[in-house]
Amino acid sequence: MKNKGFRVIFCSIVYIFLFLPISVIVVNSFNATTTKPYMSWKGFTLDWYVKLWDNSSLLEAFSNTMIIAIVSTVLATVIGTLGAIGMYRYKFKGKGLIDGLLYIPVVIPEIVLGISLLTIFANVNIPRGMLTLILAHVTFCIPFVIFNVRARLSGYDNSIEEASLDLGANRVRTFFEVTLPILAPGIFGGALLAFTLSIDDVIISYFVYGQTKTYPLKVMESVKSGVSPDVNALSTIILIATILFVVLTQGSLFKKKDRRI
Amino acid sequence: MAGKSKHEFRANTLPAIITVGPVALIMLLLVAAPLMYVGVMSFCSIDEYYNVTHDLTLGNYVRLANTDYLKIYVQSLLIAFITTILCILIGYPFSYIIARSKSRFKRIFYMLVIIPFWTNSLIRIYGWRSFLGTNGWLNSSLVSLGIVSEPIDFLYKNGTTILGMVYCLIPFMILPLYTAIEKLDGTLLEASADLGAKPVSTFFTVILPLTSSGIFSGSLMVFIPCLGYFFVADILGGGNSDVIGNLIERQFQSGNNWPLGAALSIILIIVTLVLVKAYQKLGGDMDALGV
Amino acid sequence: MKKKIALLLTTMLTMSLMAGCGSTSKGAENGEVNIFVWTEYVSDTAISDFEKKFGIKVNVSTYSSNEDLLAKLKSESEGTYDVILPSDYTVEYLIAQNKLEPLNKEALTNLSNIDPAYLDEPFDPGNVYSVPYEGGVACIAVNTKKVEKEITSYADLFDPSLKGQIVVLDDYRAVIGITERAMGLSMNETDPDKLKEVEEKLLTLKDNVKLYDSDSPKSALISGDCSVGMVWSAEIALAMDENPDIEIVYPTEGSYVFLDNWCVPTGAKNYDNAMKFIDYMLSAEAAKTNIEDFPYLCPNTAALEMMGDEYVLNKAKNVPAEVIEKGEFLTYLGTDTLAIYDEMWTKLKQ
Repeated sequence: MKNKGFRVIFCSIVYIFLFLPISVIVVNSFNATTTKPYMSWKGFTLDWYVKLWDNSSLLEAFSNTMIIAIVSTVLATVIGTLGAIGMYRYKFKGKGLIDGLLYIPVVIPEIVLGISLLTIFANVNIPRGMLTLILAHVTFCIPFVIFNVRARLSGYDNSIEEASLDLGANRVRTFFEVTLPILAPGIFGGALLAFTLSIDDVIISYFVYGQTKTYPLKVMESVKSGVSPDVNALSTIILIATILFVVLTQGSLFKKKDRRI
Repeated sequence: MAGKSKHEFRANTLPAIITVGPVALIMLLLVAAPLMYVGVMSFCSIDEYYNVTHDLTLGNYVRLANTDYLKIYVQSLLIAFITTILCILIGYPFSYIIARSKSRFKRIFYMLVIIPFWTNSLIRIYGWRSFLGTNGWLNSSLVSLGIVSEPIDFLYKNGTTILGMVYCLIPFMILPLYTAIEKLDGTLLEASADLGAKPVSTFFTVILPLTSSGIFSGSLMVFIPCLGYFFVADILGGGNSDVIGNLIERQFQSGNNWPLGAALSIILIIVTLVLVKAYQKLGGDMDALGV
Repeated sequence: MKKKIALLLTTMLTMSLMAGCGSTSKGAENGEVNIFVWTEYVSDTAISDFEKKFGIKVNVSTYSSNEDLLAKLKSESEGTYDVILPSDYTVEYLIAQNKLEPLNKEALTNLSNIDPAYLDEPFDPGNVYSVPYEGGVACIAVNTKKVEKEITSYADLFDPSLKGQIVVLDDYRAVIGITERAMGLSMNETDPDKLKEVEEKLLTLKDNVKLYDSDSPKSALISGDCSVGMVWSAEIALAMDENPDIEIVYPTEGSYVFLDNWCVPTGAKNYDNAMKFIDYMLSAEAAKTNIEDFPYLCPNTAALEMMGDEYVLNKAKNVPAEVIEKGEFLTYLGTDTLAIYDEMWTKLKQ
């Protein structure tokens, strides 16, 4: 590992591997081809970035994805954080069971969770759609929130809370002003992970979506007949938006001093 | 006495219900109940018109014990195994270099691993298909550079499925490895060197044991999803290198035989449990999988 | 930290609002209709023409095989879809299962456009539940520049010289069916002993198949990834438009013939809109648009009169009558036989 040349070349190859399909997507979003399967290069155009706004089903799918991701992230974060605190602090019957169940969505292949939710939703006849999608996403996001919060709790000093209570703050106030700020990084990390998992989920959603298509499902459908350049254009916009987001929020990256966040 | 239990209720039971109740409800109703139902369904049969009937039978499992299904399990496990090995071989040196880097761009290097994964995974897999096709970028460049005269058949083989799997799953290897390697104490390595250990033996006696937790959790998080990622096998394998996930998906779609699909899922669950047990035996921390 | 979260939330909200505005711009004053159709089969233009004309929003979902359609109908709650487009044998199955709503013939003013030769089929006598959309055959595409061997029949597809070159439909009834045809059997064979032989024959196809694709097999033919195809006729016609080296071959054994039909599943929530949609699809203008985009066999005589020679004389698009006559339709086979079929299919794909 001492050889700098080797390190640079090796890492460059890995980065090329990671970014290669992305560059295909970006380049194809400028492809002037209009015939399926949109593979051959027919010249440069920006048309797809305009046409994108007329593709109402694609935009609707994207907006569904966002709604589902935001709602499930918020729900999973609130429920997960409370759960992590409760399980850390209180003893009750069945704790081991809940604890064990939490690992299932994390380790089990997504397809198993997907079909098991499908069978139960079909059996009790809950109409598939936004509701079932959100229920499914909340289910597989909660454990990730809990584990992140729990990692933070393990170094948590109970006496701070006691001090707060002793000083006359009530439980609720103590929770919001003492407990929550300490746990914030874990909560935030868990929420970000939940959000990331939710926007990209395709396997579980595939079994429970009914008529409410999410963006990944829409992509899945377009993969069948050839991904049209407007889908590539939307992906490119999302990519740029996420990069901008990273640059803006993690501005410290570019400062000389490397401080872990 | 009544006063005490009331106090106990307010101090312990009530807050426990409020905090843990929602999680417990969701886990019981949306994880435990569905999986139990799948277990029951795996012993059901179907009638003349594909409807699930509650005539209990072992028939589904008997059908799955057939050597043809076994071959697909073995193929699927093999694909997952090769994928995992490749992820380690690529991911370990890569994470090591990034995590031990003293560059001021270290955080950027790290973010660059994550950024591709904020683009939809299906469309990235499809990007590979465009890239590797007979008229794709790679073949066009190879032909126009005169390296080959005829385009090479890359697509729709086991190899392309594995490529897709490695591509989709490698961050799950890199991220835990990065964390484990970054935690390494630099002075320990120096001490080992000072004591006269060669770099190779330092690696095997100090670095590897200290970072094995990352390898184990990374391997688990690569291996298991690999068994289920049917869309990768569909898009890049062209239906020629199916994994267990494809079998399950087919029984819930065109195959229309839910009990058989349920039995397949139960087998996949058992495989998962065995792997998780092995992971725990190796001293793996379950919480590390979800962080 | 708070700032970051706030920023994250605002970015996300702006993006979803932007998308939301885009998606709700189209009016839907007369409600909606949920259609569930084959991929690459109903023209987007025809659908958006319908939306504009009737002010009804059309939500499209797609499937890749009749079996996929059945699976979805079974797993989704009743009322999810208003219009479906099953093939002949699946219509028969759905009628037997009481899964179809009788069509309101009075609303179907354009039914007179349909050639009577395609009406009153054995799978739905009197067209109580279904009206024909398009039909065709599953036959053979050959890239003559890449394939030297002369291919004339389904049986030729099993020739070892075609190793790793073929794209076939990802549809077990189709692939097993053509194997049976190649052996001189019916596509609806149920005799377990004969099916054993079929299985043996089928497995010799394994090495020849490079890709299983029902949705858009033309892509692989056009791109050159595959040089032979056993696919839907219109997919071949479209591939021929793009790549002149490709030719269509109607197998000497007689082809696998299908006719797809508009139906309304029981419990449809928008029955009247469904009728309007089906009636519009039967109109000459919509049928013409559909045939132009997906050039299958057109049972709509009014549309046929408007089609130019480019369609009428093209034997891949306007499948010759004798091919249809010589061909065979699938029938529903029952779970026991289908289990054997499914097993064969699993072996083929391992």
